[in-house]
Amino acid sequence: MQKINRNVVLALLSLTSLVFLLFQLCYYKFYLSQKNGAAFSKVRGSQSGQDSTRWHVVRKFLGLISNHNIPVYLIDPLILGLIDKDIEQIRSSPDGPSPECKYFCAPRDFTTFALLDKTWKHEVGLFRTAEKMGFQWLKIINKDPRLDGMDDLSGMEIPLHYIFKLASHAIHLVIFYERSGNFLWHGPLRLKQHMDRKFVPFRKLHFGRYPGAYEKPELLLVSIDDLKVQIPKNPSSFLEEMSHSRFLECRYREARAFFQLYPDDASLDAVEFRKKAKSLLHLAALTLNNLGVKFWLSSGTCLGWYRQCNVIPYSKDVDLGIFIRDYKADIIPAFQKAGLPLKHKFGKVEDSLELSFQGEDDVKLDIFFFYEEDDHIWNGGTQAKSGKKFKYLFPKFTLCWTEFVELKVHVPCETLQYVEANYGLEWKVPVKTWDWKSSPFNVQDNGVWPIDEWDNVIQIY
Amino acid sequence: MDEWKPNPAVKPHKKRSWYLAWKYKLMNQRALRKLCQTGAVLFLLVTVIVNIKLILDTRRAAYEEEEESAQDYDDEMLNVEVPRHPVNNKKVLDVEVYSSRSKVYVAVDGTTVLEDEAREQGRGIHVIVLNQATGHVMAKRVFDTYSPHEDEAMVLFLNMVARGRILIFTIKDEGSFHLKETAKNVLKSLGSQVAPFLSWRDMWTFVGKKGGEVYGEKHAKSPALSTWGDPVLLKTEVHLTSVEDAECHWPDTELNRRRKRFCSKVEGYGSVCSCKDPTPIEFNPDPLKDNKVFDVPVAVIAGNRPNYLYRMLRSLLSAQGVNPQMITVFIDGYYEEPMDVVELFGLSGIQHTPISIKNARVSQHYKASLTATFNLFPDAKFAVVLEEDLDISVDFFSFLSQSIHLLEEDESLYCISAWNDQGYEHTAEDPSLLYRVETMPGLGWVLRKSLYKDELEPKWPTPEKLWDWDMWMRMPEQRKGRECIIPDISRSYHFGIVGLNMNGYFHEAYFKKHKFNTVPNVQLKNVESLRKDNYETEIHRLLGEAEVLDHSRNPCEDSFVPDTEGRVYVMFIKMEQEADFTTWTQLAKCLHIWDLDVRGNHKGLWRLFRKKNHFLVVGVPASPYSSKKPSSVTPIFMEPPAKEEGAVAVPAVAAAEQT
Repeated sequence: MQKINRNVVLALLSLTSLVFLLFQLCYYKFYLSQKNGAAFSKVRGSQSGQDSTRWHVVRKFLGLISNHNIPVYLIDPLILGLIDKDIEQIRSSPDGPSPECKYFCAPRDFTTFALLDKTWKHEVGLFRTAEKMGFQWLKIINKDPRLDGMDDLSGMEIPLHYIFKLASHAIHLVIFYERSGNFLWHGPLRLKQHMDRKFVPFRKLHFGRYPGAYEKPELLLVSIDDLKVQIPKNPSSFLEEMSHSRFLECRYREARAFFQLYPDDASLDAVEFRKKAKSLLHLAALTLNNLGVKFWLSSGTCLGWYRQCNVIPYSKDVDLGIFIRDYKADIIPAFQKAGLPLKHKFGKVEDSLELSFQGEDDVKLDIFFFYEEDDHIWNGGTQAKSGKKFKYLFPKFTLCWTEFVELKVHVPCETLQYVEANYGLEWKVPVKTWDWKSSPFNVQDNGVWPIDEWDNVIQIY
Repeated sequence: MDEWKPNPAVKPHKKRSWYLAWKYKLMNQRALRKLCQTGAVLFLLVTVIVNIKLILDTRRAAYEEEEESAQDYDDEMLNVEVPRHPVNNKKVLDVEVYSSRSKVYVAVDGTTVLEDEAREQGRGIHVIVLNQATGHVMAKRVFDTYSPHEDEAMVLFLNMVARGRILIFTIKDEGSFHLKETAKNVLKSLGSQVAPFLSWRDMWTFVGKKGGEVYGEKHAKSPALSTWGDPVLLKTEVHLTSVEDAECHWPDTELNRRRKRFCSKVEGYGSVCSCKDPTPIEFNPDPLKDNKVFDVPVAVIAGNRPNYLYRMLRSLLSAQGVNPQMITVFIDGYYEEPMDVVELFGLSGIQHTPISIKNARVSQHYKASLTATFNLFPDAKFAVVLEEDLDISVDFFSFLSQSIHLLEEDESLYCISAWNDQGYEHTAEDPSLLYRVETMPGLGWVLRKSLYKDELEPKWPTPEKLWDWDMWMRMPEQRKGRECIIPDISRSYHFGIVGLNMNGYFHEAYFKKHKFNTVPNVQLKNVESLRKDNYETEIHRLLGEAEVLDHSRNPCEDSFVPDTEGRVYVMFIKMEQEADFTTWTQLAKCLHIWDLDVRGNHKGLWRLFRKKNHFLVVGVPASPYSSKKPSSVTPIFMEPPAKEEGAVAVPAVAAAEQT
C-alpha cells in the first residue's frame, strides 16, 4: 500500500504544481500588462506600425472636453516635436484628412494637454461624464501660490493636475494659472500620502517635476490624425520655452520669519524707493526682453528676493546679471531710448564689463556681465579713481523663473549658493553699510587696468 | 495528502478496476516508475524556481515603481488632513445642561459646547441645535428675552429649525420678562411643560427633539422677586438616529449635494434646507448685454456674521450680470459657518488669520483681501469691494458696466460707489442720475488696481495703527482731491445692525430709510457728463435753469419747496470757507439725512431731491458756484443749538466710527 501511496502522492503533486505553475504564468502576464500596458501595445504597435489605443483614448478625451466646452490645448512635447516638423503643411491644410495616423499613434503612456484655469468653471459634471465613459481620473491639488505671499491667508486648495486614464493610456491635463507679471504658471505634481502611487508611472510625465512659468501662448486649431485639436501656434518656440521653464516660488515663509526678526521699513522713504525700484525693474525688464537678452536678478536685488521677497529698501540700486555671451551692442542705446542714460561703463566685452544706468531720482540700474569658466562663473568690478580691478566668483548656476514685484524674471536656480557666495553664510543678517570693494564674500583683487586702456574701460558720464 | 482517499461509496467499481490495472502495470515497469518519479521531482523544482523568480520580480517591480512615483513627486509636507469633525459612531449622547444666575453651560458627551460665565453678558435664553444623527452643534444662539422683541427673534429662529433636530435650552440670569405668549406656546409645542409658567428669575433647562420626544426638563422657581431660582443641572441621554433619517431626500444633483452638506452642518437658514420645497441656491439671473464688468473680480469682505453673508450672497448672485467665478469671499478669522455659506453657493472663500484688534483688524483684513484679489486676478484693472451686510441691487453690475470706463479714463476719479450717503427715501428720486462727490462713500465700490498698487497698498496703515480703512482712504493725503461717482439712488443697501461700529439705534436713524434701487436694467443718463470738465458744464447748466427758492422761509419746513414735481430749485447757505459746514450740518439734521460728517459735496454744492424736485444747495461764498447767487439773496445761516455744544462731540466720534 505504501508504494501505491507514493506514486499517487507524486502524481498528485505534479498535477497540483502544474496547475499552480499555469496559474502563476497567467498571473505574471496579467501583472505585467497591468503594470506596463505599453509593453504590450508596443508589441502590437510594431506589428501594425500604429497604436490605436492611444488615438482612441485621445479622441474620447477630446470629445469629452468639447462636450463640456473646455478649451484645452496640446502641449505634449513629443507630439509637438513631430508636429513642428510638418508645421507648414499642417498650417496650410488645417482640415485635410490625414492619410495615416502620424502623431497620436506613436505608442506612449501619456498625452499631455494644458488648460487655462480661468477658462473653466471646475464643473463636477465633467468627471461624472468621464467616469461614464470609462475614464479613471486623479486630481492633484495643492495650495494656491498666489496667496502664499500673503500673511496668514488660507484659501481653498486649487487643482494643479488631472490625470484621466483609460485602458493603457493616460491623459495628463496640466492646469495653468495666471500670475501677477502677466505669465502662466503650472504647479508641481506632488502626491499626497493616500494617493495611488501606481495610478500611472508618474516619473515619465513631462510636466510636474517642477513648477513652470510660460508666456501666454497663441493657439492654433489644427486637424491632425483626423482629430481637431488646439496647439501652440509656434510649437518650436513652445518646446524651447519648456526646456527652461522651471519656476521657483519665493520663500514666503522664510521671508515672514525674517520680517519677524527685522521688521520691515514702512517709512515714506522706503515706500518711495520700493516704488521707484519696481518701476525701474519693470522698465529694464521690458527693454532687455525686447532685445531678447536674458538677464537675472543679481547681488542686492537677488538677496532681497531670496531673503524677503521684496526690494531691500536701503539697497539704493537695482542689480541685474547678464551672461557675456548674451551681450549685444544695442543694450546701451536701447536703455537710453527708454529714458535711462548711461552713467558709467567699466571694462570691456572681453573683460569685466559692467554698465550702470541712471534711473529716476538717484536709483541706479547696475548691469553686471558674467564670464563663464570651466568650474565657476565670475563678474568684474572696477574702481574708477585707481583703475583697480576686482573679481567676484560664483559657483556655476542655471536660471529659473520667479515672480518678483509683479514681474516674471530669472534668478539663479541655485540661489542659496549664489547668495552665499556673494554675501557669505551670514546673508540673513541685514547689513546697511556695504562696500562693494571689500564687503562681498567672494571679492578678489584682479590687478589694475593698464593706464593706456583707461579711456576705454573707465567711462563715466 | 493522507486525507486523499478514494471514497468507495461514490467511486464506480469499473473505474476502480481500471485504476488498479494501470497501477500494477506501472509497478511492474520499475524503470518507467522511476522516470516518472524523477520527472515529478524535477517538475516540482521548476515550479519552485519559477515561484521564487515571480516573487522577486514582483517585489522589484513594485519597489521600482514605488521609487519611481515617490521620488520627486512626494508631497514634502506630511499632509495630515484632520477631518473637520471626528467620526462618531455612538448611538447615545450624554447631555448636560446647566442654568443659573451667573453661568450656563452645555456639555455633549463630555465636550463643553457652550460655556458662558461672563458678567453682564449672555443674559436670556441660550439655544443650541444638535444634529440628531451626528450630535454636532449646528447652531448656537442667545435671545435676551429680558428685553423686548427678542422673543420674536427666537420664535423666528425656532421655526426655521428643521424637524427632528435636537434643541437644548438654558436660561442665564433672566429670560422671562419679555417672553410673550406666542413664544411660550412655541416652547410648549416643543414639549416643554414648564415654559408656559416660566416667570421672573426662574432657572430652566430643556432638551427635546423638534416635533418629537422630550429628553428632559428641569426648572427652579425663583422664591422672591429679589432672588434667583436655584441653579439647575439637567443630565439626560439623547438617542441618535441614522444619518438617512436626518437628511432630506432631494434629487441627487451637484447643487443638492452642496445643499445637503450645508444643511447637515448648520441650522437657522430656513427654507434653503426645507425638505419639501427648498429655496434655490443657484439663481441664473439674466446676463447683461455688453457687460463691461464681467471680468472684474468681486471681493466680499466678511467677518463672522454667516446669516448676513447668506443674505448678501443671495442678493449678489441674483444681480443681473453677476459672474460667480470672479467672486471671492474673504473671511476674517477661521470661522466655519461663513465658510459653509460660501461653499453652499459654490463660491470660493479665503480665511484670514486676524491681525490686530478692532478697527485695525478690519483694516488689515481689507488690505489682505485687496492684495489677494489682485494676486488671484492679475489681469484685472479693477476690483469691486463689497461687505457682508449689504443687499446688492438687481442692476448693480449694469450700473457699473455703464460707468466703469470713466474710472479707467478720468484720472480725477477716486472710485465708483454704489452708495449715496444722502440718498434717503425722501431725498433720492432718479435711478438714472449720477453725481460726482468729494467724499468716498464705500459700501459697495470699485477700486482701480493702479490706485491700490501704486498708492494705497505700500502705505496702508500698519496693524498697530487703530485706523479705519475708510476714514484713512478719505484723508486728503490719500484722496488727493479726487472724486467718486455715485448714483442718486443707491445700488446697495446696508442692512447690518450688529457690527463693530453699528447698533440698532444707529441703524434705524441713519440706514433704515435709505433708498435702494429695485428696478432692473436702468439706463443711466448722460454718463459722459460725469467727466471732470463736462460735469462743471452740467452743473452750470443746472444752476442756470434752477429757480431760486424763497430765502426768507425756514428751509427745514416742507413748505420751503413748492408742491411741484420735476423742477430744479436752488438755495444758498452760508459757508465762509471750504471747511465751514456749520449751516450744512444743521440743514442736514433737519432734513433727516446724513449729518454726522460732511458727505456728498462737490465744490460746496450738494444735490438731492425734495418733493420730487431736484434741490441744489450752494455754500456761499466758498463754493465756486456762488457767482450764480442773485445779489438780492442773502445766504441762509443756521446756528447750531447752543446747548448741544457737548453733544456735538458725540456725532464727531460716531462719525469717525461709521461703517
